[in-house]
Amino acid sequence: MNRKVNKKIIKAAKDTVFYLFLTTLIAGMLLPVYFIVSLSFLSTREAYRYPLPLVPALKTDFELTYGENGYILSVWDRTDKEYQTVLDTNEVEKMEVYIKARLGTKITQEEIRAEIARLENSGQESIFFTKPRSLLYNYDTFFKVTRDAVPALIRSIEIAALTILISLSIGGLAGYAFARYIFKGKDALRFSVLFVRMFPGVAIALPMVFILAKANLYDEPLGLSLIYSVGAIGLTIWITASIFMGIPKSLEEAAQVFGGSKLQAFMRVTLPLALPGLAASAMYTFLGAWNETVAAIILTQFKPTFSVVVYQTLLGAQGNVNLAAAGGIAMALPALIFTFFLRRYINQMWGGVTV
Amino acid sequence: MVATRSKSLRKMWGQATPYLLILPVVIYYAIFWVRPVIAVIIGSFTDASGVFTLQNFVMVFSDENFWPALNNTAIIVLFSVTIEFIGALFLALLINRKFFGSGIFLFLTLIPMALPAVATGAMWITGLTAHGWINSLLYYLGVLAEGEKIYWLGGIEPNPTKLLALVIIIDAWQVIPSMMIILLAGLQNLPKAAKEAGYVFGGNFMTVLRKITMPMLRPTIQTAVILRLISAIQIWLIIVLLLGFGRIPVLVERIVYYHEEVPGLNISYQMAAGYTIVVSTIVSLTALVYLRVSGAFKKEETA
Amino acid sequence: MKKKFTVLFVVLVVASMLLAACQQEVVEEAPTTLVFSSRLFSPPAEQEFFINEIAKPFEVENNVVINFQIIDDQTLLDRADVQQNTDHVTTDIVVAHNSRMAEWIENGWIEDLTDIVAGWKDRTFSEAFVENTNKDGKQYFLPVGADVYLLLANNKALPYLPDGVDLDTITWEQYAAWAVAVAEGEGEGKVCITGIPAKSWVYMFGGTALSYGAGFPDANSAGALDAWRVWESIGKAEGFVPTVLNIDSCVDPMMREESWLTVFHNARAGQVYASNETQFTLAPAPTGPVGTGSIAGVSGYAIMKGSANYDLAVKFLEYLTRPDIQVKLAKGTGGFIPPVKEAMDFLGDEAIDEVINKAVLVLENGVVSGVPAGNYQDWGAVKACFDDVFADTILTGADITQARLDEAQACIDALLK
Repeated sequence: MNRKVNKKIIKAAKDTVFYLFLTTLIAGMLLPVYFIVSLSFLSTREAYRYPLPLVPALKTDFELTYGENGYILSVWDRTDKEYQTVLDTNEVEKMEVYIKARLGTKITQEEIRAEIARLENSGQESIFFTKPRSLLYNYDTFFKVTRDAVPALIRSIEIAALTILISLSIGGLAGYAFARYIFKGKDALRFSVLFVRMFPGVAIALPMVFILAKANLYDEPLGLSLIYSVGAIGLTIWITASIFMGIPKSLEEAAQVFGGSKLQAFMRVTLPLALPGLAASAMYTFLGAWNETVAAIILTQFKPTFSVVVYQTLLGAQGNVNLAAAGGIAMALPALIFTFFLRRYINQMWGGVTV
Repeated sequence: MVATRSKSLRKMWGQATPYLLILPVVIYYAIFWVRPVIAVIIGSFTDASGVFTLQNFVMVFSDENFWPALNNTAIIVLFSVTIEFIGALFLALLINRKFFGSGIFLFLTLIPMALPAVATGAMWITGLTAHGWINSLLYYLGVLAEGEKIYWLGGIEPNPTKLLALVIIIDAWQVIPSMMIILLAGLQNLPKAAKEAGYVFGGNFMTVLRKITMPMLRPTIQTAVILRLISAIQIWLIIVLLLGFGRIPVLVERIVYYHEEVPGLNISYQMAAGYTIVVSTIVSLTALVYLRVSGAFKKEETA
Repeated sequence: MKKKFTVLFVVLVVASMLLAACQQEVVEEAPTTLVFSSRLFSPPAEQEFFINEIAKPFEVENNVVINFQIIDDQTLLDRADVQQNTDHVTTDIVVAHNSRMAEWIENGWIEDLTDIVAGWKDRTFSEAFVENTNKDGKQYFLPVGADVYLLLANNKALPYLPDGVDLDTITWEQYAAWAVAVAEGEGEGKVCITGIPAKSWVYMFGGTALSYGAGFPDANSAGALDAWRVWESIGKAEGFVPTVLNIDSCVDPMMREESWLTVFHNARAGQVYASNETQFTLAPAPTGPVGTGSIAGVSGYAIMKGSANYDLAVKFLEYLTRPDIQVKLAKGTGGFIPPVKEAMDFLGDEAIDEVINKAVLVLENGVVSGVPAGNYQDWGAVKACFDDVFADTILTGADITQARLDEAQACIDALLK
């Protein structure tokens, strides 16, 4: 009895240490990501304060007093722990715009007028009030400025899917050949398909765009998938080849012994085992196609990709780093969702497969 | 007669199968990739008026930035590939233990890989500047006193070693997940029995890793390392995002420099073409050496 | 598992293709689309303003859709290259920076607008930019959104302002003395310039040099030497922000209060100023013996050769260059200068008018130079000649020597066409 309890305690202790270790590890890895996410929720004013607030505020505290040009509006500064002046004006509209755009806070002109009236009726030097933040303000602005974001998003998914389809089918076949057959010139060929990745892509991006534009694939999503597949195929060949090599040939032969054709053996036995490798290549391919802008900007006009419209919104985002953060996150989200679904194929919980 | 003919036909067919499987790739490359590459190769061996010359390579090798670029690239490749491989292998082995929650853990570790350049750029620029989030965090943790700052990207005195170290760390942060998924995919298919046998015969974790797991994982490791090696030599974007062109020159950054920063110079095209050929030669030689040393070619011949 | 994966994948592909097909139909039924690709108005707030306040009235009136796209100058040229050489001209109007206009004109990618401009009697384009917008007596670009340099200071720097200095008439020596005083008082330099190569240091320095009677881009003339001495004194006192080599635009460092002093682009200065008017002070650029020097930048509208909507494009440009629209555009986008003489009549007395007014003062009364980029093989390379002097001599606190400057001038002259 005692021993059992002891064992349980030891196991619990081990588990605790293990998961503590995992948590620390992941916290360290994701710390920079936390800050970019937090930044995307901060108001423009707070995004430029130093030291930077660690968490986005949920409300903004104001102080209203009389000033030279009308009323002085001050806001509570979380960094310096004091009210700081931001405006000295008579114009209610200007206050509204400032509070919305710079402080990311919800307010209406009526509310401002009401506070001014309260100040004047109170007979005091200053009054204080609090308004809730609009946490998603940067995301709102981002999607307002980024025109055609939704069609571009769909198009980008389409392009990435096509790229995966092309590179997995063409590259997967070759990968299988390299893993399973012995033939003349194999090493040289295997090295050559990799050479595509060795040749700096930046040097031939524009000429490749020319070829596609001349082939009437200008402003066509298919054209971009064809370009993106060039790099993806070489990578897919190598990844799939190495995975196929790891699957014992005997498994396939065993299936054939039981009356299956070679194709059936491949479909039933090898392919499921190769799924992690295929998923890994698909992920590389997806991310490459998803994030590419250089060729996409030049080759598209009326049918831009999501990366292009994001680039167009953020090109001049100096002084608006919180908006850039929101745009970056908006762009990362679909990729993260894709990753989330694909991860189960990379790490198969049911472990090794047996026939 | 008929039987033997069909047999030899089938044999021929069997020999042709691998080539047929590879044929689509060859056709694909021939259409979309070969022509621009040949154009660049020709461009690297001709002057502005199209006459054959080796002058372009003389210009590249005598460029004041060439040797620093080569040197910086070598340092980055050496350290980043090593660090990334160790980190990726560690994570892959950890996740392959299939503990409760390993799926979510895998997803979380993949996040850095999924971020687009615009997010990573904003992240590191706002982090590494003097009034950035890294210094803010250190201040809140009490590491930095009030008014004290660390100039991560260098103060007035340029410090290339520090900058290179930063670039390597940032690159590793983003790249480890992508290397890890290849290794993890490879680990999936290793028969558990072999590993268990290793433990039964008294091996500890390290000996099982060294004697059983690693050798069986060899094709995957070769793939992961060769792919990483190739892209590590071609690193440039993160450096330009943080420091602009020319402060820490690296090889591919030089190509981009002549293509995009100063495209108008009389020698821009020649320099870019020359650098491109030099870079691809360096990459292929490195890759070849690695593949030979790691036994990627040898092993298959006997397989 | 494999099946699920395949099914999911096929569904994804089919669904996205269907969606794409649906969209195409919608696009085909839409009214004429005029494609407007611009390097100007890139800040998101400016994009929003252009689309909603400037383009929308025109769209409604003419039943067109303006496809407004922000693209940097180099990509714009690459795009034009592909469109012109593969017969897929889909862009109608481009907006380029004056340092790149020569490339557009020389490549023959844009239309000659001389006759059209001659027909417009109510507007006179500022003479300052003819050198860039015209070639051989023909006008290709219509100027828009001009800029000069203004002084922007964080109010925290004001206590260090030397006695008796008036910000509206501050000289470069006084500016340098002020910067040195701030650095000594704070124990850290606070002057911002763009230290990342090929950004705007050439214009920042060029303004100083013009104030001392130098030409642009001069590196080693007597006037230029005096200008280098101003910056040398700041460098020797470690007056630049320590992160200066990582700065590609002074907007962010000024907003983050890493830097407190800078002389830069009036629209960007206006942008920072508007972020907190009570925290910043705006003034004309400092003066020198021959006046207030400033480099003037400008962008220009042009029509792509082969545009399918030429007449509509002309109509839109006519609308955009009207004096009142130019003023509206300048005010709504941070404080550019409308480069149309008649536009000044439309300026009022709001805060943004003050930014524009200060800029106009510099443009009209100052010593102003355009950007003679067309004389050089590559303007970015010219910029680098100046950047190198900053990095190896000014920033390190070394002495400016005539030999170093002669070397820089040789670097510049070697780039002449």
